[in-house]
Amino acid sequence: MRKPIRWILWGLLFALLLLLPRLVSFYYLNMVIAFAIFSLYAVTLNILLGYMGVLSFGHAMFFGTGAYAVALVLQHIEGFPLIPTLLVGALAGGLLALILCPLLVRVSGTAFAMLTLAFSQLIFVAALKYREVTGGEDGINVTAVPPLNIPGLVSIDMTDKVHFYYFAMAVVVLCLYLLWFYTKTPFGSHIMAIRDNPLRMDYLGFNLAQTKAINLVVSGTFAGIAGAVHALLMKLVATFGVLDINTSFKPLMMAYIGGIGSFFGPIVGSGVLHLLEDVVIRFTDRIGLVNGTIFILVVLFAPQGLIGLISSFKAKWSAKERS
Amino acid sequence: MSPTAVLYTAQALHGLAYGMLLFLIASGLTLIFGMMGILNIAHASFAMLAAYFCYSVMKITGNFWIALLIAPIIAGLIGILTERFLLRPVHKQGHLAELLITVGIMMLILELVKLFWGTESLVVKIPQSLSGLVKIGGLTYPVYRLFVIGLSLMILGFMALILFKTRLGKIVRAAVSDAEMVSALGINTPLVFMTVFGIGIWLAGVAGAVAGPLLTVFPGMADQLGMDAFVVVVVGGFGSLLGAFIVALFLGELNAYGIQFIPRLAPVLMFAFMALVLAFKPLGLFGERE
Repeated sequence: MRKPIRWILWGLLFALLLLLPRLVSFYYLNMVIAFAIFSLYAVTLNILLGYMGVLSFGHAMFFGTGAYAVALVLQHIEGFPLIPTLLVGALAGGLLALILCPLLVRVSGTAFAMLTLAFSQLIFVAALKYREVTGGEDGINVTAVPPLNIPGLVSIDMTDKVHFYYFAMAVVVLCLYLLWFYTKTPFGSHIMAIRDNPLRMDYLGFNLAQTKAINLVVSGTFAGIAGAVHALLMKLVATFGVLDINTSFKPLMMAYIGGIGSFFGPIVGSGVLHLLEDVVIRFTDRIGLVNGTIFILVVLFAPQGLIGLISSFKAKWSAKERS
Repeated sequence: MSPTAVLYTAQALHGLAYGMLLFLIASGLTLIFGMMGILNIAHASFAMLAAYFCYSVMKITGNFWIALLIAPIIAGLIGILTERFLLRPVHKQGHLAELLITVGIMMLILELVKLFWGTESLVVKIPQSLSGLVKIGGLTYPVYRLFVIGLSLMILGFMALILFKTRLGKIVRAAVSDAEMVSALGINTPLVFMTVFGIGIWLAGVAGAVAGPLLTVFPGMADQLGMDAFVVVVVGGFGSLLGAFIVALFLGELNAYGIQFIPRLAPVLMFAFMALVLAFKPLGLFGERE
């Protein structure tokens, strides 16, 4: 695609996002916010899976700690402002990644998947049992979403659906842009190089453990932000929903269905799964059946996901045109 | 025996019964991992499936023994088909793809179970001959739990016999340590893989069918059994049968006594124990390879 066309497409997408509250009902507005949150969440998983080549099987722990941190802060500190709330979520996710990274950088492959699953289960069970703090299965209600306060300028009420939509989208788009930028930096290439040839990177004098650790913390931090926005959207943080194993599987399916080889793959996957859910739920309650089947088919026949399928079609097409 | 001693012995037997069940599930899991490098997330789902089969077969025939015999075999056959048509095609894509396939299978089994049997807990009735209580020196203990311990020990002995005394066992042990070499020696490893996968699922199926009357049969069964078995395999060391055995028994006891003394902490204790082991030995207590 040539550059001007690409810019026009981005502009159109941006305009669509801006005008959306006028076009669709609140129900779909909520769906779009959820789609955006899970896009960010799936992209943070892909920062590990696609770029570093390790499968975080318990990614919900970062998402969940972010969400719980937000809920706890809002529950215990009255009048806590909005932006710091998000930072608390980011800090919680990042801190957890920082605590775990000495262990996680030592392993790769299946062992990494199992370690992350193990720790996410530890956190899940602990959150389930310590009901004084976390509310157990009932969770914590986020009773009041604080207004967006810029001292001296404005105070925007966040209980308004449309306002919250703009706020959530701004946060998610900003985070996605930062992550996209991050993967394009030299540091991002180092991570991919470590995935492709760790031995060589080691001989070239790169500090593998440190590089991996930083990437883990970045992934955890942004997953924490996704969890924070999720907590503000749902107004309820409960163990089943932010910390359970299904919350870990969801972004994995999104990333895989969209395609882990591309930055935008997980976003596509998130969109596909949310649309699919909206359609399927009209016919049956068994969404898992449809999702699971699609997931297996994708792993079997299209390991590069939808984006991979599209680009392979494109390659075939252009080869035909040339001949 | 004094009442306290009775209580302690009863808890110890409870722990032993649960530990043996865990070992039945974990042994298949760890063997499959050791040979094929696949972490079978759906392993406990097959155990649950067998429990449901057991319920249905019993409903049709009215005989617990037939159900106990047939249910694990059906589960094992499904396991073999799964290996042949879902896992083998992605084998060349690496372990990650195989792991993801098993995640998909786990979701499918859960949904299918809910579709066919509903979400309520189903009760499997124990036959008359196993339902009573037995007195052992002042301790009254349910016969069924003793039966579970006995059956598990029997299967354990049988498996050890196969593993250490037959040609198939020799091949399996060789394949655990170096699958490529075994394949290079002219042994049909895909066939061996398929057989081991089937046997592993069958073992899990036996555990699931036997656990049915103890835990009741419900869709969350796979999560409960699966997580515990997962801890056993991780702590015991990936691919180590001995490790799985020791840790399964230990966790069974930890569970039993934990529930008695620190009911709230018991599950947390289990995962904390795992985290502690992994912090110092990332490959598990008896594990040798990644």
